[in-house]
Amino acid sequence: MKLRIVIGVANFFGAMSRIAKRGSGVMVTGRIILKLQPDAVRILSRKRKVILISGTNGKTTTTSLIYTALLEKNEVVSNYTGANLFAGLAAALSKNLSAPLAALEVDEMVMPWAIKQTEPEMVVLLNLGRDQLDRLSEVRLVAQKWKDALATLPKRCLILADADDPFVVWAALDWSNILWFSAGGHGHIDASTCPACGAVLRWSQDGANYSCECGFARPDAQWVLTGDELQGPEHQSVKVVSGIPGRAALSNAARAIVAASFFGVALYDSAMSISRVTSVDGRFAKLRIGNTDFRLLLSKNPASWRETLSTSESGPERVLLVVNANTQDGKDTSWLWDVDFTALKKRYVVVTGERRLDVSARLTVNEIPHHLVPDENAAATLLGEVEADLIASYTAFHRLAKSVTR
Amino acid sequence: MTFAIVHVLPELLGTYGDRGNVEILSWRLKERSIAHEVLTVGVGDAIPTSADLYLLGGGEDDAQIAAMEILAKNDSLKKALENGAHIFAVCAGFQILGTQFPASGDRVISGLGLVAVETVSARHRSVGEILSRPTVPIEMLTGFENHGGQTRFLDDLQPLGHVVAGIGNGQGSNVDGLITSQIVATYMHGPAFSRNPELADWILSRKIGPLATLTAPIFNQLHDERVSKTS
Repeated sequence: MKLRIVIGVANFFGAMSRIAKRGSGVMVTGRIILKLQPDAVRILSRKRKVILISGTNGKTTTTSLIYTALLEKNEVVSNYTGANLFAGLAAALSKNLSAPLAALEVDEMVMPWAIKQTEPEMVVLLNLGRDQLDRLSEVRLVAQKWKDALATLPKRCLILADADDPFVVWAALDWSNILWFSAGGHGHIDASTCPACGAVLRWSQDGANYSCECGFARPDAQWVLTGDELQGPEHQSVKVVSGIPGRAALSNAARAIVAASFFGVALYDSAMSISRVTSVDGRFAKLRIGNTDFRLLLSKNPASWRETLSTSESGPERVLLVVNANTQDGKDTSWLWDVDFTALKKRYVVVTGERRLDVSARLTVNEIPHHLVPDENAAATLLGEVEADLIASYTAFHRLAKSVTR
Repeated sequence: MTFAIVHVLPELLGTYGDRGNVEILSWRLKERSIAHEVLTVGVGDAIPTSADLYLLGGGEDDAQIAAMEILAKNDSLKKALENGAHIFAVCAGFQILGTQFPASGDRVISGLGLVAVETVSARHRSVGEILSRPTVPIEMLTGFENHGGQTRFLDDLQPLGHVVAGIGNGQGSNVDGLITSQIVATYMHGPAFSRNPELADWILSRKIGPLATLTAPIFNQLHDERVSKTS
């Protein structure tokens, strides 16, 4: 069957699924495309320049920002709403067949397949940390998968990788066409041993530098974000303004500006368009439940909880935590004990979600007073007519984000 | 007398939230007004040999080997046991206490040999909820296991629990962990003391003596929820 017909059929069923309110229809479209044409991602990537974006945290935001920046100069397709598995990639590539660029978010474990299928022009590697250990396995093993896959990249491909993350560095360092990015390191919860040789990794006191007796060490970064100023290897400089709160969003904005510069978008133009993005796929969107105006924040693992708690600190005094442990959240909640919730001590804290008892036990030992409620509606009743942050794990976040009027 | 807890190499043996066990023990002692201190021993620090209770958590392959090398250097845990200390070890920490454990690339690493168990590589990783009926008079045990090794007893040892759901030590044994007069080991993350408050108190009371009742219903509710959802 001709690919255009396959896409037509798949889009029809995707639309039906959307009309039947079974979701956005993206997954249905993608699955049908791959069923009828297993080679679709390879074929649809052929005449395009493809950018793959992956990492434990920040990939949806970074992809969306790269997409936004690239739009300044080009037509682009992207899965910027986070459908980052096989079907999501196929569905994204099936849109706007004349678009010369594709910015694709890829699940860490799907990277080997995505690299093989798309033969990308650029790969953006953000970070690797513990996340859903029951599904993704240990961090070192994910890094090994990346290392093997990156060795198969086409020679022309440029890697933009984080110099502050030892796992990312180890996975990427054999590649010659590489640019290192740094937004300033502050240690790494999983990198106590050297990814290269297994010996204990030596970290500087401030967590900004690391090295090993085997010679493995933090590379010098060509692109550096200091405060809000991004500087390049040829003395390029631009002020980064993020419409999305938090330090992580600022560094993702900087990465997006660097990435887009290789596709003809001037740093300043990218910075301007990126500064206007205030919410990505429900992150930091507003949601009213009862009389409470919530700001939605996604938090998935120890690293993202630390980041989110720090971002939320300057937000409203009241905060609702919603934690589940379904497949996409990770079924093991042990990680809650790797997060220090002390920052919540001065705030009014409400807890719900399928695993609220686990959270409550954690907060009890952390000596954070809190209220346990059965669901978000009960939380809203308790909170009343106020603004509040709602920090949710993956499945809870996506259920709530669906209700946000876009 | 100050009860001294040693948190052993948390940066190496701390992948699955097991540091929570240390915080929970400390909290349970504090709530009972029992004087205590937590000594966190990092890489490069001397490991004290006169403390009361040593906690070892889970870790990835390389970190487990690095921890093993550090612990083997000066026999600190062996000396601590000789001084009457108790040990609570989870997953990789459990494996380190035995005679050998596997690592990536078909390597076999010698353990500390403090208990007569050996761990071998399993064909399938054991991942999921685990429930076991304890061999000591406390409530059903609940946790989340995630390990690629299976551990067999080389001697007539007492397990911590008989597995009702999940894998535990594996090798068809249907048991989890072990208990000796000074050591308790398990494959239960969760962390174990969060879901099993009676286990936490049982381990403390073996060393301290009878403990005052502690009213902390959240841990009992969590225990009961996990047991009922796994049964």
